[in-house]
Amino acid sequence: MSPKQIQRKKAILLDTTRCVGCGACYQACQEQNGQLRPSGDFLNEDLGARTFTVVNNRSGRYVRRMCMHCEVPTCVSVCPVAALEKTAAGPVVYHDRKCIGCRYCMQACPFNVPRYEWTSTTPYVRKCNMCAARQAKGQATACATVCPTGATSFGDREEMIQEARRRILAAPDHYFDHIYGVQEIGGTSVLVISDVPPEQLGLPTRLGNEPLPELTWNVLEKIPTAVACGGVLLSGIWWITNRREEVARAEGKKKRS
Amino acid sequence: MKTRLQLPQITWWRIFLLAVMSVGLYSTYLRFAHGLGASTALRDGFPWGLWIGFDVLCGVALAAGGFTVSAIVYIFHSERFKPIVRPTILTAFLGYLLVIVGLLFDLGHPWRIWHAIIMWNPHSVMFEVAWCVMLYTTVLALEFSPMLFERLGWKIAYKTVHRLTVPLVIMGVLLSMLHQSSLGSLFLILPGKLYPLWYSPWLPIFFFVSAIALGCAMTIFESFLSYRAFRKRLEIDLLADLAKIMAVPLALYLLLKFLDLRGRGVLHLAWEPTYEGRMFLLEIIVGVVTPLVLLLFRRVRYDEFGIFVIACLVVFGTVMNRLNVATTGLEGYAGRYFPSWSEFAVTAMIIAMGFVLFGLAVKYLRVFPAEELRAAGEGLPELPVVTALRRPLTSPALVVLVVAGVLAVAGSGLAYSAFSGRPSDGSASSGTLLPDISRGVTELHLSDVDFISSPDSPGKVTFRHGSHVDFDRPACADCHSGRFSMLSRSSLEGVDMHDEQHCGACHDGQKSFSVTDDCSSCHGN
Repeated sequence: MSPKQIQRKKAILLDTTRCVGCGACYQACQEQNGQLRPSGDFLNEDLGARTFTVVNNRSGRYVRRMCMHCEVPTCVSVCPVAALEKTAAGPVVYHDRKCIGCRYCMQACPFNVPRYEWTSTTPYVRKCNMCAARQAKGQATACATVCPTGATSFGDREEMIQEARRRILAAPDHYFDHIYGVQEIGGTSVLVISDVPPEQLGLPTRLGNEPLPELTWNVLEKIPTAVACGGVLLSGIWWITNRREEVARAEGKKKRS
Repeated sequence: MKTRLQLPQITWWRIFLLAVMSVGLYSTYLRFAHGLGASTALRDGFPWGLWIGFDVLCGVALAAGGFTVSAIVYIFHSERFKPIVRPTILTAFLGYLLVIVGLLFDLGHPWRIWHAIIMWNPHSVMFEVAWCVMLYTTVLALEFSPMLFERLGWKIAYKTVHRLTVPLVIMGVLLSMLHQSSLGSLFLILPGKLYPLWYSPWLPIFFFVSAIALGCAMTIFESFLSYRAFRKRLEIDLLADLAKIMAVPLALYLLLKFLDLRGRGVLHLAWEPTYEGRMFLLEIIVGVVTPLVLLLFRRVRYDEFGIFVIACLVVFGTVMNRLNVATTGLEGYAGRYFPSWSEFAVTAMIIAMGFVLFGLAVKYLRVFPAEELRAAGEGLPELPVVTALRRPLTSPALVVLVVAGVLAVAGSGLAYSAFSGRPSDGSASSGTLLPDISRGVTELHLSDVDFISSPDSPGKVTFRHGSHVDFDRPACADCHSGRFSMLSRSSLEGVDMHDEQHCGACHDGQKSFSVTDDCSSCHGN
């Protein structure tokens, strides 16, 4: 086994009760991705081709928005050329050399995360890659490194889930008892805890716990059967109608002779 | 010197065509020289628009005549329909070529369109569609090739392809079955986004069944236009039978749609006075129910104008369905989308290319059997509308006209009410309530930073976050926007901390005490 395969799966834990909306994550993210620019209005900004995380005010809580790095990512499943990949360590990464620019990933993402370089003539899809390069060096993500309050923390996924449980147990009055991302659409690598239910944070809650790619795979897996049955059926119909015609022709000849 | 140039005749159609082509070409320039952002109304929340909704989804559906009619003729052996095989194959072949042209406009990296051939992802519906479209376009090219070989006199090639007809048709039907339905499956992954009137686990079935109906309708439509444009005889009895065949998938579609909506408990949404509800009713009433009702009348079926109207309604209904699935149904989630003028211009250009290529093919190849073409010079029959107006009571066209008129009024009423109930721009609703950060602040740990002292320094400086951060609003990004790196300690060696890039930025005597005021305020503390 290569060291990559035994790498433990990582996760980011977001705790909205600890977030003070300072924007350190936003700034560090831009610094990490070489997108640094005079301070933007991260509280009112939306994700963009050069903005992989923002802090939005949802129901009076500061809530970070970023790629959730799903365990069974919808974007990875829909990409026709496999330009998106779920790595063993957790990050969903993008291979821009493969991308044809169909933007199905953007259409399909249940969290509405991937962004496009609309103004470019050679546009690429852009989103958070969970600092895959830093992770490969054994470092935490940029956002977790700089967060001054522990609202964003990084570690092994199992440990992060334990930590979230610990926090909820230690202060049950302060938390809504649910860790978003443990089960939602098959689980995500970004976990969220808060003092309010996840729907109030703008997180989709009606998609169930089955990964969305199942929805299409249920249909796609039937294709070989459909082709086989269809082929036999169509050939059969052709054979019958053809035979019927041959018989009719032969009988016609007989009558004439 | 007198030389007479043979100029092409100037007709209104040609002027119109020229205008469409020029605007289209300018939009093409916009698209490829300035990118998708400059040429479309697409945005991050609305990554697919008219080019996918019409040029691709409708393009493929409108070309469905190819597999429908060839299946009827070669697999079900209804040889009577043979005269219309060639024009439908031609329509389908051109249709698929134009779908690919449309795709080249829409893809961000059109020159990588071939990537799916070597970069596989069998879990992607789009991957499957890409392969089917590639293979089916090849099949259509082969099915079309006899027309070309015949013209070139390549007998061996003609015979070879001719012998392959039945396997080719079977392959064509299978491939069409797969990707016509898969275009619907593309949207299966959007359960939270697509409006429930259109999102259904049965989407692939709906797309396939409606494609069969549309295949018949397009054949009728295209026969009628050929009859008007190329003075071809109209095979009214054949088309009436085709219309009867069309009634089957059309009725099945209506039934399935009803069962699906009722089964999912969302039927009531169709009657609600919302944008989506109205657009849905428009699609179903105009595009499915009305043609079904009209098909019940034998006199309408056998009337050349009547059958044309039926075909137009079915085409309208299916086009509307595809656009509703691709754009309307997503507006509630992603906010308003209306195509830019250049998106329309490119689409119009692609449609115009279709007409021109079809015209050229009819001119240079034997698309229609020779006896079908009326002798040149024989005048065109007068437009059915004119006939209907002259003999209003005896013409079945009256029925059609009245129905169409009522529909037009009802339709525009529906459309009007639909647009007035349109969702406004879906800007994220952020709470106006200012978040309570008291709990967060107790967790705030900010370290002190020791600056390096130069030899002439009056004393060591330690930067204390504690005295610089407003704890009611700790805005890290204000100072860390490039000035002070957050991820790696930037080396401050040899830097004059007093300058405007550093401490001097705020310690200027106005925002805070000046760096020149009292050295001991910072140094040696």
